[in-house]
Amino acid sequence: MTIAIAVARRSSPIVAIASVGVMGVIVFSQRDDAPWGKSFSWSLKFSASILLIRTFIGVTIGVPVPGTNIFSLPVIPLPHWMPGIRIGGAVTAERLSSALSEGVIICALIIIFGAAASLTSPHKLLRILPIFMYEFGVAVVISTSLVPQLVSSVGRIRQAQKLRGQSTKGFASYRRLAIPLLEESLARSLDLAAAMDSRGYGISRLRSRYRPIQWRLPDSAIVLCGLIVMTLT
Amino acid sequence: MIKFSNVSLVYPNSTKTVLEDLTLDIAEGELVLVIGPTGSGKSSLLRLINGLVPHHTGGILAGDVSVDGVSTREVKPGGLAHLIGIVGQNPLHGFVTDTVEEELAFSMEVMNLAPDVMRKRIEEALDFMSLTTLRSRQISTLSGGEQQRVAIASALVMHPKALVLDEPTSALDPIAAEEVLSILHRLVHDLGITVVLAEHKLERVIGFADRIVYINGDGQTNVGTPSQIMQTSPLAPPIVHLARALGLADVGLSVRDMRRLTETIRENITVPSQSAAQKSGKTVIDIDTVTVAYGASTALNKVSATIYENEIVAVMGRNGAGKSSLLTAIAGVGHVTSGQVHIHSLESSSLAGNLRMKTVGFIPQEPSDLLYAQSVIKECHQADKDNQIESGTTLKILDQLVPGISYETHPRDLSEGQRLGLALSIVLSSNPKVLILDEPTRGLDYEAKKILTRILIEFAKTFNRAVMIATHDVELVAELATRVIFLADGDIVADGVTIDVLLASPAFAPQVSKVMAPAPWLTVHDVIAAIENQP
Repeated sequence: MTIAIAVARRSSPIVAIASVGVMGVIVFSQRDDAPWGKSFSWSLKFSASILLIRTFIGVTIGVPVPGTNIFSLPVIPLPHWMPGIRIGGAVTAERLSSALSEGVIICALIIIFGAAASLTSPHKLLRILPIFMYEFGVAVVISTSLVPQLVSSVGRIRQAQKLRGQSTKGFASYRRLAIPLLEESLARSLDLAAAMDSRGYGISRLRSRYRPIQWRLPDSAIVLCGLIVMTLT
Repeated sequence: MIKFSNVSLVYPNSTKTVLEDLTLDIAEGELVLVIGPTGSGKSSLLRLINGLVPHHTGGILAGDVSVDGVSTREVKPGGLAHLIGIVGQNPLHGFVTDTVEEELAFSMEVMNLAPDVMRKRIEEALDFMSLTTLRSRQISTLSGGEQQRVAIASALVMHPKALVLDEPTSALDPIAAEEVLSILHRLVHDLGITVVLAEHKLERVIGFADRIVYINGDGQTNVGTPSQIMQTSPLAPPIVHLARALGLADVGLSVRDMRRLTETIRENITVPSQSAAQKSGKTVIDIDTVTVAYGASTALNKVSATIYENEIVAVMGRNGAGKSSLLTAIAGVGHVTSGQVHIHSLESSSLAGNLRMKTVGFIPQEPSDLLYAQSVIKECHQADKDNQIESGTTLKILDQLVPGISYETHPRDLSEGQRLGLALSIVLSSNPKVLILDEPTRGLDYEAKKILTRILIEFAKTFNRAVMIATHDVELVAELATRVIFLADGDIVADGVTIDVLLASPAFAPQVSKVMAPAPWLTVHDVIAAIENQP
């Protein structure tokens, strides 16, 4: 896992994609929650809640799995056109463990993406994007820089609405929020696109690197391992 | 260097001519200042230079704009990136990467320069703009002045022949603005770079300009040296107004010139003794040891103050000194770590709905945050409904504030000043006991500021209200405020009558007082009144 973090830190797209694959495969094969530390706490929290919901649903709803019975829940009768599916009933150890492990997989994926997102900035990924993806590059920069800006705008506009003595709950408040938010995002996106244009983005077909990202031996080794693991599983 | 030949510009779906038959030849190493009322087309003129208008915005362009012999018709804006560096109104909107160094490298990377060239140029630019200590910082954590310097540096690494800046100092405190302007001055004089900039706060920039382009708003332009333009221009800094009011034949453009010109006048008037400002006894706002902390950083540190009726209090201080934190805490919507604010003995954070609107009115930094309806008239109706007042009241206020506004216009299409007027009339329609404005003068021209000053003074006087305003604009404070609270690093470092606080610090003293020192006058009006009262 620490190797995977190191790879992602190098922020090369190929290595990043491969390392996501590597991480995914590792977690997939291990079926274990990875210890990501404090920096990924949000993805941990998020995945934990998903795990709970997933396990609960997995245990209570679905096709009965035979096995050792732990305890029983009252069966809620369903209409006859849903054969084989039931709510409640016997909770077997097998069912619990399969629901748990499936939940853990989903969690692990979320955590990997959370990890990848917190390790490489999308702006860095853009820098290594080939130039023929110019339009795509502009779009990526705009959309990624928009997200943190959106968050702060929402806070600001909600505050302003509170100042006008309006409640910030309910459907109407979202409509009031959406219009200024949309307008502002649009204006800002245009600003950014204009700035990138006037700084010569997309003019030269080639692009140099200020601090080139070096491909080192460990990277190749990791990619190789990843590929091997992928083919094996 | 930059050549406008018979340039006319019309935007699509608009009958208004932005520019008409402008012919202008900007020489190498010239600093040209573009001035004009808000919405007159200053930004359009700047963006014509590198072809963003009309390539990016659309519009019909007649005539030709060329830079160093290259016509903007023939190349895209990016094709001029090595010739022109452009810094927009809000540099934060134009940053593409996360850290200072990467931002500087961005344009060079896309132009495919070799890494060793890049490294050298980045070091040069960092040194020149004194950014070396900030090189690996996140851009979003920098102050406004620092961001402006990063934006200029990232244009400089391309070794451009011209630099175009749209209101580079409007959001900055006087000291940060001074820093940016002295850098521009150095660029022009040491490197021979041509600089074209638009600015509202003429008192800051006029001393640096070689020539001025005055845009009238109806397409007419007037080009000349600063002293020529200032003879007749309705937009003028306070010292020019002073020269006109005193009936001087020449207009001085710097404090030094004006002091020389007014020497005899200053000798011949006696300074009247100051009448002590009277405080009305009734407390409106009671700020009780308010602390605001965001994580480890403290924005406000146990601030206490009392604001009385009839007072117009200016809150000043550097960018990031805690002005906004204080004002939002008073309005009761900000994040407060400890302490309380009472307005007429109501705790401000507990206010809601109608009671809130009747107690405190707040204009945020971005007045358009308050607006969400599709037209001016709908916005006013909504305000009437919210306040449960007779319909049409808000509209009446609006007509008084900004006459001649078109009711069907979308709030986004209004000029900066009109939008502020609309937000203000919505807030005033509930007749709040306290009015708070957070930096309302960004992008406002002198005319709009004058109107704002008049409205606020009237409001405080007629209704015995308290007004608080956060601003960097020293001249506005001199005209408007009765009291100044000066914040630094989350502490109140000065609190007193405007005249005492402003005159105590040379950086924050208004121009008129610098000219007339040691006489304690802040505005042209003060000086004229004093002269008329001479025996």
